[in-house]
Amino acid sequence: MKKSLILLAIVALFAGCRKETDTFDGVSIQDLYSDFMMLQPFNVSSDSIDFSNGETAVFTALFNKPVNWTLEISGQTSKAKKVITGLSKRIDASNATWDGSTTAFPMFKQEACVVQLLIDGVTDTFQLQTFIKSPKVNEGLVIADYEGGFNSAWTRFVQSGANMDFNIKSDSLCPQGAKYLNMAGTVAWDWLIGLIDYPATAYGGGNTLPLSTNPNNVYFNCLIYGVPNTNESLVLFQFKEDENGDGVYNSNTDDQYDFQITVNWAGWKLVSIRYNDLVSLYNGQPTTANGNATHNPDKIAKVSMLHLANPANGYAHCKIDYLIFTPTPLNP
Amino acid sequence: MNLKKIIFLFLTCCFSLATAIAQQPTTRKVVDFTGGARSVVTNNSLLVKDTVPDTTTVGKNTGGYALVDLGVNIRPNQTTELMGMFRIRSGYGGFWGAGVTFDVRQLWLKGIIGDIVRYQVGDLNLKQTPFTLYNHRADRFDSLPDVFSLQSDIVDYERFYTGNTWRQQGINVDFGLTFAKGIQGIDFTGYVTRMNATDFLSVPDRLFAGFSAIVVQQEGIKLGYNQSSIFDVKGTSAESPSFSNNVQSLTAYFHRTVQNLDLTLDGEAGKSSYADSRFADRDPLEDYFLYGKLNGLWKNKGIGFNVGYINVGPDFRSMGAQTKEIDYSASPEYFNRYTNGQILRPLDLTDLIGNSNLYRTSISDKLMDIQPAINNVLPYGIATFNRLGAFAGFNYIKVKGLRLDVTQYQLREIRGQGTLALKSFSRTDINARFQIGEVLEWKKKLCVHGGVFLQSTDRKGDLAVEDVSLKTTRLQGGVEVEISKGLDLLGGVVQLNSSGSDFIADRDDYTEIDFFERVDYDLLQQTFAGGLRFRFEKNIYICALYQSSRYNDRTKSMPGFTINQFALIYNMTF
Repeated sequence: MKKSLILLAIVALFAGCRKETDTFDGVSIQDLYSDFMMLQPFNVSSDSIDFSNGETAVFTALFNKPVNWTLEISGQTSKAKKVITGLSKRIDASNATWDGSTTAFPMFKQEACVVQLLIDGVTDTFQLQTFIKSPKVNEGLVIADYEGGFNSAWTRFVQSGANMDFNIKSDSLCPQGAKYLNMAGTVAWDWLIGLIDYPATAYGGGNTLPLSTNPNNVYFNCLIYGVPNTNESLVLFQFKEDENGDGVYNSNTDDQYDFQITVNWAGWKLVSIRYNDLVSLYNGQPTTANGNATHNPDKIAKVSMLHLANPANGYAHCKIDYLIFTPTPLNP
Repeated sequence: MNLKKIIFLFLTCCFSLATAIAQQPTTRKVVDFTGGARSVVTNNSLLVKDTVPDTTTVGKNTGGYALVDLGVNIRPNQTTELMGMFRIRSGYGGFWGAGVTFDVRQLWLKGIIGDIVRYQVGDLNLKQTPFTLYNHRADRFDSLPDVFSLQSDIVDYERFYTGNTWRQQGINVDFGLTFAKGIQGIDFTGYVTRMNATDFLSVPDRLFAGFSAIVVQQEGIKLGYNQSSIFDVKGTSAESPSFSNNVQSLTAYFHRTVQNLDLTLDGEAGKSSYADSRFADRDPLEDYFLYGKLNGLWKNKGIGFNVGYINVGPDFRSMGAQTKEIDYSASPEYFNRYTNGQILRPLDLTDLIGNSNLYRTSISDKLMDIQPAINNVLPYGIATFNRLGAFAGFNYIKVKGLRLDVTQYQLREIRGQGTLALKSFSRTDINARFQIGEVLEWKKKLCVHGGVFLQSTDRKGDLAVEDVSLKTTRLQGGVEVEISKGLDLLGGVVQLNSSGSDFIADRDDYTEIDFFERVDYDLLQQTFAGGLRFRFEKNIYICALYQSSRYNDRTKSMPGFTINQFALIYNMTF
């Protein structure tokens, strides 16, 4: 036992001798609790950016300590706004790269932008300007952005109620491009106010939409405007598949997947859903699809968009824009 | 078929099986029913001490529940034993079964293969060594007066805290080899548990596995090798993040009696590594530790002592040993929000003592938050990283009645936190229990209890902004008097006073520090409790308890409050 004890003591002696470290963990407390200083000025990588070509804007700055910072990029024409926030000592490509996307609609256009840097606890603000040579282009299949008016291949049905308006409009509120679809009216006898069918043949790819076969890699997105102080609208999308390739959708033998959106907000909002997450609905309740019950985005023959509202409530009104399929959730 | 039907069917099957086995023509007892029952009724009131009267919070509530844990322990043969325990819980006010829940509380099977290998599958109570897998109960007030342990015992029962074990699910195997000469034998233990299940996308299956090999050289000498690992199983998710935390250690145990002095030397040394592929730009965290403790006991005098050494590196990570039992981000059981602004109410002593919802059973793969006002010296027990120093203790165990324990820790950091200056830590634990009834040879029980627990943290930096000084004092006392056969009068008080300031490290998912938040403390918490307990039998009692708990933050960062509680507790285990 004596030998074992001696051995253990020697091991303990060697192991117990730690080197004094000349470093410390974390950020310097001296820096953290001293007055704020800007060590490198606030800057942007380019004063003219072509987002459509994949270019990005990288903002840079260096402070003497970690701070909570906010970058606010404002489009001078569109009034679009992008907000980037962070907590760090350094602003660089890792935390302040702008790909031309927007935080608050509308989307950015070709325009001059003002960029403000705000720092928590600091009264000074830092500002610079940049220019969007060409706005961001979103990869995907656009079903409708209404910029070219109604496509002749689309089918529109509007009830004959009161104050009906199912028309393309243009105003300063438009979130993408210059035009959107206005959907409004009072239909006292039915939930349906109006609908538009978007057949696959309208997109030049044959009888089905040219989408991926993998339903996990297909997202449907749209921008919807909830009109303040108005009765609740429902927007129902129906994705009708032609599974046997006979050129038509048959409701008894083919799948239909649905996406029902209750418009209970005010202002423009992006709504996105993965195609594989869609369910079949019957009177608003989930049911079994009538076909092979497999999500086949590459077999969508028609997309129908219905504007619905409770007839007991009266007038309903919402707006819609930029219906687009994308491989990932839309980053507008 | 809904869950209730499934559970009912399962219960029926188990009961039928148990009955069938019990009716077998054998003299050996093969079926036991085990479990417990509890009923708790509480009436709580909240008084808020704010600059503006709180007219928003509802200041009173009543609640409670009744539950039955029914376990069937079946031994179908001499080498197999299985246990299934179900819980039926009904919250008071849940009429017609609306508030009734059915849960499986325990399910395990154990046995022996070929008279050599013992195994257990299902629920396991596991511990290995203090640096590999161990529930240190670092923030548990384990030495509270009896009036408070009525509640803390319920927490232990609810969370399966038996000693220093963690409740896990998996498989445990152990077996031993004996030798004719050279060494006496080797004991092997191994376990595999599942920490989380894959979601088939980004979260892989994560397992916790370990084994120990203990060589018994001769009577009183044991040397061991231990390893514990947390790792992701490759191929169990579409993405392939990879996390690993490995700890290897050597343990040594020597025991010898010199005249009347029992001497025990206990030590462990080892190293750890911690890596996460999500942080590809970071180096793996690797470090080592060393721990030793010498215990001595003069049995004839009832006097004992211990001295020890702790050296745990700043990058030592062992999630099995550094998981805290208490989750400070959890919510109180009642009065979650208070004041007109309905801010979250901070946890007070009543919550810490008796709210089992704050306590966890699973191992965390991240460092959990600490609460410096409660434990700043060894927040992760002796497995706390970045600690170097020694401790010494003394205890006096008179055969009749008196027990006194005193321990002193003197520690410091190994690497600075936000500065090169190092913090120093001091902790003094003094706890005494005096069974006056036994000393005076009374037939009835009379016991008094007192404790003083002091902690201090100090740092003197180059600049005043780096300075740290935090002191915490816990005083407690209690009395238990048997006023007639089986009827006890209980009383107790706990006071926790924290003052000073420290910097709390905000850590990222890689357990490294992002930021420091300076926190100032001037906090006084007091809890008084008194009650009557009637013991029907050793494991069956009913108790009426009144408790008042004050929370007074003198920095005014959180409004003060008082919670008064009347509770009626009926508890039995069988």
